[in-house]
Amino acid sequence: MTGSRLPISPVLITPPLLVILALGLAPLTIVVVWSFWSWDPSTYWIKPDLSLTGYAGILEAGRWTVIISTLVKAFGTALLCLLIAYPTAYAVHFLAGKRLSILLLALITIPFFTSYLIRSFSWRLVLGRTGVLNTWLQDLGIIGAPLDWLLFSNFAVVVGLVASHLPFATFPLLLSMRRVDPTFLAAAQDLGAGFWKSLTSILLPLTMSGIFAGFLFVFVMVVGSSTEVQMLGGAGASIVSVMINDVMRVANYPLAFAISTIVLIVIFGLVLIGNRVFGLASLFEDQSP
Amino acid sequence: MTKHSRPFSPRAHSNVQRRDFLKLMGAGGIALSAGGLGFASRLAAQDAATVAFWATATLDIGDKWPEFAKQAGVTPEFTDNGNDLGPVIARLAAGNANDLFDIGGFQGGAEKELARQGVIIPWDTAKIPNYESLWQWAKDIPYLKHDGKQYGIPAVVNADSIIYRPDKLGKIDSYGAIFDPKLKGRVAMEDAWINSAIFTAMYLKESENQPIADPGNLSESELGLVMEFLIKHKSDGQFRTFWNGWEQGVQLVADQEVDAMTGWEPIVYEGRKRGLQVEYAAPVEGYEGWGNNMVLLKGAGDRGVADTAHKFVDGLLGGFYGCELGQARGYLVPTDNNGVYAKAHPDEYKPGEVEKLAEHVKAKFAGKIYWQNARPDNFQLYEEWWQKLRNA
Repeated sequence: MTGSRLPISPVLITPPLLVILALGLAPLTIVVVWSFWSWDPSTYWIKPDLSLTGYAGILEAGRWTVIISTLVKAFGTALLCLLIAYPTAYAVHFLAGKRLSILLLALITIPFFTSYLIRSFSWRLVLGRTGVLNTWLQDLGIIGAPLDWLLFSNFAVVVGLVASHLPFATFPLLLSMRRVDPTFLAAAQDLGAGFWKSLTSILLPLTMSGIFAGFLFVFVMVVGSSTEVQMLGGAGASIVSVMINDVMRVANYPLAFAISTIVLIVIFGLVLIGNRVFGLASLFEDQSP
Repeated sequence: MTKHSRPFSPRAHSNVQRRDFLKLMGAGGIALSAGGLGFASRLAAQDAATVAFWATATLDIGDKWPEFAKQAGVTPEFTDNGNDLGPVIARLAAGNANDLFDIGGFQGGAEKELARQGVIIPWDTAKIPNYESLWQWAKDIPYLKHDGKQYGIPAVVNADSIIYRPDKLGKIDSYGAIFDPKLKGRVAMEDAWINSAIFTAMYLKESENQPIADPGNLSESELGLVMEFLIKHKSDGQFRTFWNGWEQGVQLVADQEVDAMTGWEPIVYEGRKRGLQVEYAAPVEGYEGWGNNMVLLKGAGDRGVADTAHKFVDGLLGGFYGCELGQARGYLVPTDNNGVYAKAHPDEYKPGEVEKLAEHVKAKFAGKIYWQNARPDNFQLYEEWWQKLRNA
């Protein structure tokens, strides 16, 4: 059955487009343009130019390695979040009753009751030398001395990142699962398919847009994060936003804008590829009969 | 750069909110009464003696500003500038800070640059009677003058060194402890090149006889020497972490993550409150002196409130402010006026404690001091080296 759609009026679409342009594209365009300007010490600001100094700076002092390591952290965190979020979303949507489902959804939002800072800081109390985990392991006789690597390490950073961003993977998956026609799964069962067959043949393909959306949300947020690294990382641990803050403090604006531009290119590329391959847009399509 | 911000305390925050609410109710009542009695013009006149004070939270005395205003005759409108000089300078040079604020309270070192940019104007110390009460070594802090003009006036000073656990390490009197391989993984430094670089430079200069002229303003080659030293130690796993902010600093000590770290003295006091044996070292290499200095923003001159700004600064040095800040944070306004005020108001501030704080800080400055410089000449190179350290 094909439903009719309301005609789109150019007049009606203009305001939201203007908002998107003003709040989204315009600032990003400015950042890109300014990344080619040069620093003018006489005015303590940048001046119009067509300079690659900012981009060249990325190749100095190992800054490019921070970009790479940030992308790796983001990728790894996003994958881990998906591995945890997918069964969580499945349980909430398919296994829990309506009332329990609401309760579980509420529980998933608990991390947002506190600030990023408090969330990250609290992990120090869990992972530290005198923290809960080390104390527990020593009390059980499993270890004889605290495990230093639990805190101020990449391990701690990843733990903090996953804990902070897990809800952003869970909700898109829930959304995509709710769009799966339950009769498909029922038909699969009727035809003798087991759980894993149903999962891999039907549910995973149909929720691929949610998987990618969850991945993308976490990836983008981790790329822009800083708190977990600053709170839980080792000596001088860095991530893109920490690096940008560092260069902004010393008025190296072209470099800061160049770093931002590189990151923007990566993220936009990821969005375009993902939409083409995984159909991200389908997550938001109207499928009403 | 150092962030000497107010310690976070949920209870204090709650109390502050409650007090603010009560003051608001009271102020509302007073306003209604004054209006009804025809005192509106007087209130308007009183409001004219106001300055917009843009400073680090270290300089804030919260609900004591009304009392300050009563004594000094100037009401400050305090705004926390975040104590990060990068954005502050940018906002002054290319933003709207000069349109909004009259006086800045910044970490020392940027005065020269700000003066060159024309965003601050010199003080006329003749209009600040209490200026003469400042201790001479405070007046002599580098960076306060540029081209013979007084651009900075020290409002708060202290000197930093090493926080350590004497019950674990015995007495520490050298920054060498921070770099001692025997303490590998048990030490920390601040995630701020302006502090960690100078501490390291002091150690290398004084204890290893390295050719460093001014640890607070390193040349290109000196900076390379210092940072290569730090990079080597970081790569060797010397540092447990680089801490960032008050809460992190306190927690590192309180949770026994480190046994020694360069840092701020208030962390010692906080550690003791938590039942730990914590001391502040008196290193043979000296202390890192720092000041939060008052600068007169160009906008104040443009708006014709420069005289009011001078009056405000005079009030800061008048004694009450120093007593309050000393009691609240343990920091010192470098003038004997604090003691005079305490003796005149013993019910408000204990003269003995005020004197004790003064003597404590004076003792630090009686020895070797190297001054923190938030804006060294090669400041962008400092950041580049710090990236190399991060990525090592």
